[in-house]
Amino acid sequence: MSRFLFPRWANLLLPTVILAGATIPLYAFFFVAYGLSPKTLEVGFQPEQPVPYSHALHAGELGIDCRYCHTNVDKAAYATVPPTQTCLNCHTNIRPTSPKLVKVQESAATGLPIQWQRVHKLPDFAYFDHSAHVNRGVGCVSCHGRVDKMEVVYQTKPLSMGWCLECHREPEINLRPVSEITNLAWDSATESSFEERQALIAKYHINPNDNCSTCHR
Amino acid sequence: MISLPPRWMLFVGGIAALALAIPPVVIARVRATPDPEHAVHIFFDMDFQPKFKTQEPNPLFADGRSQRLPVAGSIARGEGNPDLHRTTGVVNGAWATTLPAGLTMNDAFMERGQQRFNIYCTACHGYAGFGDGTVNQRAMALMSSADGPAHGTAWVQAKSLHDPAVREHTLGAVFSIASNGIRTMAGYEAQVSIEDRWAIAVYVKALQLSQNATLQDVPPEVRDALKSSPVEKNPTATSAAVKAPTATPSKDGVK
Repeated sequence: MSRFLFPRWANLLLPTVILAGATIPLYAFFFVAYGLSPKTLEVGFQPEQPVPYSHALHAGELGIDCRYCHTNVDKAAYATVPPTQTCLNCHTNIRPTSPKLVKVQESAATGLPIQWQRVHKLPDFAYFDHSAHVNRGVGCVSCHGRVDKMEVVYQTKPLSMGWCLECHREPEINLRPVSEITNLAWDSATESSFEERQALIAKYHINPNDNCSTCHR
Repeated sequence: MISLPPRWMLFVGGIAALALAIPPVVIARVRATPDPEHAVHIFFDMDFQPKFKTQEPNPLFADGRSQRLPVAGSIARGEGNPDLHRTTGVVNGAWATTLPAGLTMNDAFMERGQQRFNIYCTACHGYAGFGDGTVNQRAMALMSSADGPAHGTAWVQAKSLHDPAVREHTLGAVFSIASNGIRTMAGYEAQVSIEDRWAIAVYVKALQLSQNATLQDVPPEVRDALKSSPVEKNPTATSAAVKAPTATPSKDGVK
């Protein structure tokens, strides 16, 4: 009866196992930190909208202020998706029979809302208030990116709790004068100094809490 | 001399090592491209709660709205303001020339009017009110396109607020037009609050005065400064850069 002998190459098993033992945890860590981060899972969400409305045309090329449609952004927690009538303010006379506007005209005729798809979603236990930010120098662009350059809107920021806290702990990085709040091209970093932004903290009475109850209640 | 394992084993090992490179590539691609599908939601926690936030759909109702429309004929608390001056801009059967009770003319009110005008009115009327807003320009270009107006476009040049007939509108009339619209212009009752519509009306009157003001309308202390500064000779060169009038010279014109 012949005895089983490990082949000589089995000597390589030990260094291989050590190498794998060292790299696989690193790999797993990378996978979780990079792959499961909100920057991967949330950023870039670009749902298809029922109407091919272009922010790049309306907010960018035509320069219509964000608040023309999102009327409650400086009055309420919620920025308001505009009612169909807002589209018709202009589109009663501009391209009323365009095939792109069929759903808008249908909505106007039936009174049923257009089913716009929500892009920026917060968990239901986070209570974000647009007016509190917009009236105190946090611009639209800080959270929504250059919407005026997007044909179809997508999410550019992670909207994670860690990301919110970055700004709550150092608001002077993103603050801007309220007069530039909807000016998406206005860049805090290049167009204002650190001291100017710090002065805004006192001017707008900014006290961004990082208590749980600030956003979760 | 190191002896190597059998070839098939090296081959399988090599493939496995290469396969490890696939997830990072997939992740990098997901990061770089906008995606119509919401990415995998891994930790649900209590992210999606069975409650309705503003403007969320509710399948229980035929129209899908979670926010119900008010019953026809009902008036919300505080909305049934019997002050016709405030709600319609009419006083004793004629257009009001003053602000309704409760609103006071001051710098802050004028600046509010300017800000709201720049949001809601400039798209068609332009920042200085000459009817040259970006939407108007684009619509006029559509009207004069070589193939005829596209998709049933029927645009009428937006009125210049400095048109003599428009200048005759009193404060209350301007408020009423902003609220209810006129000709092809839509009303802005739903988009702009009643106070803001009065502020816009005040600013429109100031804007009109700014194009027809005399030296006597300017406070005496700044007249000399105006005389010495170079005057823009081209009133049609309108842009966002046109300095809007402040509250000071408009007080006579408005109140």
